[in-house]
Amino acid sequence: MSVEATTATAAPSRRAILVAAALAFAAATVLLVAIVLPAEYGIDPVGTGRALGLTALGQGAADAPVPPPSGERLAPTMKGPVALYPAGFKVDAREFTLGPYEYVEYKYRMERGATLLFSWQADGGVVQDLHSVPEGGASKNEQSFDNQPRRQADGSFAAPFSGIHGWFWENPGGASVRVRVTTAGFYSSVQEFHFDGRRETREVRGLDAIPVSRP
Amino acid sequence: MIRRLATALAVTLAMLAAAPPLAAHDDIRVIGTVVRFDGTKLVIKAANGKQTAVKVDKQTQITRDGKKVTRTEVRSGRDVVVDAYGDTAEDALAIEIRLVPPVQNRK
Repeated sequence: MSVEATTATAAPSRRAILVAAALAFAAATVLLVAIVLPAEYGIDPVGTGRALGLTALGQGAADAPVPPPSGERLAPTMKGPVALYPAGFKVDAREFTLGPYEYVEYKYRMERGATLLFSWQADGGVVQDLHSVPEGGASKNEQSFDNQPRRQADGSFAAPFSGIHGWFWENPGGASVRVRVTTAGFYSSVQEFHFDGRRETREVRGLDAIPVSRP
Repeated sequence: MIRRLATALAVTLAMLAAAPPLAAHDDIRVIGTVVRFDGTKLVIKAANGKQTAVKVDKQTQITRDGKKVTRTEVRSGRDVVVDAYGDTAEDALAIEIRLVPPVQNRK
């Protein structure tokens, strides 16, 4: 003779399921409003975020700053069409008066890929040559990029290699000529080479040289 | 054999160490009026009154309006533009002497 044990399990009533679901929804809503919103998004409608120190977490997650590229040289780090540098760009303005047959070379020290914006004007005829000399190279290694006859030029320049980059201006005539150049760019210094053999290296100005407009 | 090679190497190193450093030669331009020219030395007076003497050799080109002219054209009182090569203007060798019209307007 065998005995079969059977266990009967009663299904929960529909009312019990609704009550449990309502309680779970209420608990989730409380957690969302009191914990998740302050911690993740910095939204703190009931003040629990501030009380529990969660708001700071939310702000930190949203505004964590990305550090700039590191390095002492003003070399660009490319991110698609964006070039990022370890420091701000420089500005410079210079005017030369070239006596009859005098010349000057004015060149910026730039790293490969660094950019420069420029405008220059002359009040008379000049021979001009925008060219570069690679770092550690002699003048025989220089590359010329634009030596068309001009009295002014406005443009931009991207250094094809690390070195010094800039202009040769020569007064080919018997009357003095004035040349003025203004630039902004990622260069570290500027060098002047005068016709009589004088050499000068000048410091360039940072962004604090630009006056700031305030309402 | 090894002793000879070592001696030769030592002598070579000693000569290199004793050699004077290479001078950095640069392009220099001298602009002014010819004071005198004797065929090997040209003395020029600049607008500021300073006189400079540059060396001239057989390779030095003498031009006017882009054309070669003879050395006899370089006479005192003429305005010239001299492109030279050297450490300083005083020891520079003239590469080209250009005869130019009298300079009217100096800064």
